[in-house]
Amino acid sequence: MENKIKEFKHLEKWQGTLANCIRCGYCFEHCPMFHHTGWESDAPRAKIITAFGLLEGEIEPSEAAADKMFSCFYCKRCEAACSSGVPLTEIFTDAKKDLVEMGLKGPGTTSITELYCARCLLCVGACPHEARFYDGKGIATDPAKCQACGICIEVCPAGAAKIENHFGTAKDDLIERASTFLTTHESSKAIIFACNWSYYPELQASVLPESETREKAYEILVNMCGGRLEAHLLMAPFLHNAWGVMAAVCPDGECQHDGNLRAKKIVESLHNTFKSIDINPERVRLVQIPAGDKTLFQAEIDTFMDKLNKMGPIR
Amino acid sequence: MKKIDTTKLKNIVGGHNIKTDPADLYIYGSDSSVHHAMPWAIVRPETTLQVQKIMKYANDQIIPVVARGGGSGMCGQTVPIQGGIILDMKKMNRILEINLEDVYCRVEPGVVDDDLNLALKQYGVFYPPTPASSRIATIGGEIANNASGVRSVKYGATRDAVLGMKVVMANGDLVSLGAHTRVEASGYQLHKLLVGSEGTLGIVVEATLSFVPIPEFRCMGVANFDVLKDAGEAIGSIMASGATPSMLELMDSVAIKAVNKTMDLGLKEVAAVLIFEADGMVKEAVDYEINKMKKICEKHNGQDIHASYDPKERAKIFLGRKKLFPALSKYDDNLASTALADDMAVPYSKMAEMAGKIHEIAAKNNIIMTAYGHCGSGCMHTKILMDTKRKDQWDSAKKAITQVYDYVRSVGGTTSAEHGIGISKAESFKIEKSDSLNLSAGIKKAFDPNNILNPGKLAQAPEDWVTATNLRYSVNS
Ligand SMILES: Cc1cc2nc3c(=O)[nH]c(=O)nc-3n(C[C@H](O)[C@H](O)[C@H](O)COP(=O)(O)OP(=O)(O)OC[C@H]3O[C@@H](n4cnc5c(N)ncnc54)[C@H](O)[C@@H]3O)c2cc1C
Ligand code: SF4
Ligand code: SF4
Ligand code: SF4
Repeated sequence: MENKIKEFKHLEKWQGTLANCIRCGYCFEHCPMFHHTGWESDAPRAKIITAFGLLEGEIEPSEAAADKMFSCFYCKRCEAACSSGVPLTEIFTDAKKDLVEMGLKGPGTTSITELYCARCLLCVGACPHEARFYDGKGIATDPAKCQACGICIEVCPAGAAKIENHFGTAKDDLIERASTFLTTHESSKAIIFACNWSYYPELQASVLPESETREKAYEILVNMCGGRLEAHLLMAPFLHNAWGVMAAVCPDGECQHDGNLRAKKIVESLHNTFKSIDINPERVRLVQIPAGDKTLFQAEIDTFMDKLNKMGPIR
Repeated sequence: MKKIDTTKLKNIVGGHNIKTDPADLYIYGSDSSVHHAMPWAIVRPETTLQVQKIMKYANDQIIPVVARGGGSGMCGQTVPIQGGIILDMKKMNRILEINLEDVYCRVEPGVVDDDLNLALKQYGVFYPPTPASSRIATIGGEIANNASGVRSVKYGATRDAVLGMKVVMANGDLVSLGAHTRVEASGYQLHKLLVGSEGTLGIVVEATLSFVPIPEFRCMGVANFDVLKDAGEAIGSIMASGATPSMLELMDSVAIKAVNKTMDLGLKEVAAVLIFEADGMVKEAVDYEINKMKKICEKHNGQDIHASYDPKERAKIFLGRKKLFPALSKYDDNLASTALADDMAVPYSKMAEMAGKIHEIAAKNNIIMTAYGHCGSGCMHTKILMDTKRKDQWDSAKKAITQVYDYVRSVGGTTSAEHGIGISKAESFKIEKSDSLNLSAGIKKAFDPNNILNPGKLAQAPEDWVTATNLRYSVNS
């Protein structure tokens, strides 16, 4: 076992912390990955168990094990929930550094670059975590630095930056889920896009009887960082007769990726478009919610729904 | 290891509901206990019919099947000690019916306790057995462990709330047990037998549960004690006085320090605190109960007693209590909080002595143990805080555990109040139930003749829990 430990020279320092994790699982209730797949092996506790197994030589540093370590949106909801004080994402990052040295790079949720990249370097400048760089041949991502915020995907004009394992947060998925909700619920009026920080999920892992959800007026869809919002996504629900769309992002200065500033700009420009075609711009609303403030989030939704009810559908 | 026909299993649940990569198997090999063992496959059924087909296959091939909910069991209940299939029940997560007229709800086993309570809240009712782990524990896991919680002192444990259930037997047959009524006297109450059976008798695929109205008023009090024994005696006196607390929790100095450190709870760092609560629809009745408990605490030298109706203040203390076990890991950076000697129950009059005994045994064995728990229902918890790398600490822990449970049994207590037996508590369980083990073995045989349902647990668990499985800790030799 001793010789195995040496290979994980970054992870090694967390040996004591990995023992301090009591494996209670309190961290998995708000993890967007667990929420999406329902597999315990995608939950934060699973990554801690994997890190322990790798360090102790109980599991091979295989592609599958590495893929777990490379899959994380760095939303840190797990850390907020952990009373044992386990700094989960720091542990993941150190494990990733060691795995990269062993030639295992995920991708997990790391963004990748397709061959048709135009090498405009826009993503290199836009990446808030200095994870993108020109490696002499093309644009590469440092998988240990990438936090899967998705900003590079939004800025890439060629559509060449991608997060393949998006856990339901890719634009196409969100558009499809929005349209399914709007077309299957007669009562539907709005789509709320929320970044994973401002949204405080309630009924997390269970499904309500159909009788309870039939009258639902809005659906909340988590899009990870607000920096990933774009006009096309925000407009899509209107094609299915939505009365309005709300987007929730972090308050100024509180977004880890400065994605909220991008989101603000996009909503502003949509407002102008709406005005020019004589539709009330208030049908697209941006709100800023401090991480986990579920009371404010709900209050903002209620206010928005009240407004929409007064406005009625778009004719 | 037996060869599993994954194609057959895929045909039953679909390829997206099965995992066999060692990286996944390794994760599913542990829960919140000290144990670890590798399963052979993880299968995630979505319907009762799928569970039936999986069980029929496993029974024909004699492959062990371990049902798994949130994996928050503390004694290794879901650790597949003999390998086999882990049946991950989390996708059977539908709340099927909330019937206000008949005062019951029907749920699938993967429904998470907090989710159920959230759904019930809008109707002004709640499901009371709720363990501290309610944010991840599933109804199936709670049934199989007979989970209980802070409110069980007034509202009872899971067994009291389960009216009926549908169960897939070891051979794949589906049976309906119990009824949708509050009372039943129609022969053996087999649904109650399934409660606490730790997945060894059948797979629960649906449960009918009762609920109660959310009280209009809740008042919570905190009493500080300079002597642990005084706090223990106050618990006994409160319960013997006929008072009806809706919560009566003990926290000793170790527990207080840990929650203060993690959650800034601001509790006084005394030898022990008692947290007591009363609830009801009439404020005067709640006041009466609170005053009664206050006076008893005062009589037993309780100090600075403070009671409040303020929901924010109550919620803060309640959350602190919910997060106590994880918080214990922060008591001392060099010590980990292990789920060992995790729970037990003793008669009320022995609470004070029990709490003292825990500290005495810890000191004798050079480890740290804490005494806390839902003491109003007779339940006492401890955890062992130790340097898990040191082999000698494990030897000490083993000795301490034996001594704790020897005491528990000597005063008419029981090995588990609510966390179950699994692997780690089997030693004391077998001694405690020695004269009925044969009877239990007969019941097990009747339900599961091929012994495929969670084998190697309860009475079948190995004598020595330390060597029963790999430990989830890195221990230097
Ligand atoms: C921090 C923490 C605090 C806790 N606090 C409490 C507490 O206050 N009170 C308390 O009682 N417990 C407590 N526990 C223990 C544990 O959470 C409970 O026993 C809980 O009921 C387990 O639920 P689960 O869904 O995680 O079950 P699991 O751990 O997944 O499974 C537990 C047992 O149930 C069986 N099982 C699961 N689903 C089914 C099914 N559908 N059919 C048949 N068998 C099934 C499994 O085979 C296993 O034997 C705590 C645990 C932790 C980590
Ligand atoms: S990381 Fe924290 S919350 Fe997650 S299982 Fe470990 S102790 Fe629990
Ligand atoms: S940081 Fe977020 S995505 Fe990553 S494991 Fe924690 S909760 Fe899941
Ligand atoms: S912008 Fe975000 S997703 Fe893209 S490389 Fe940088 S950290 Fe990763």
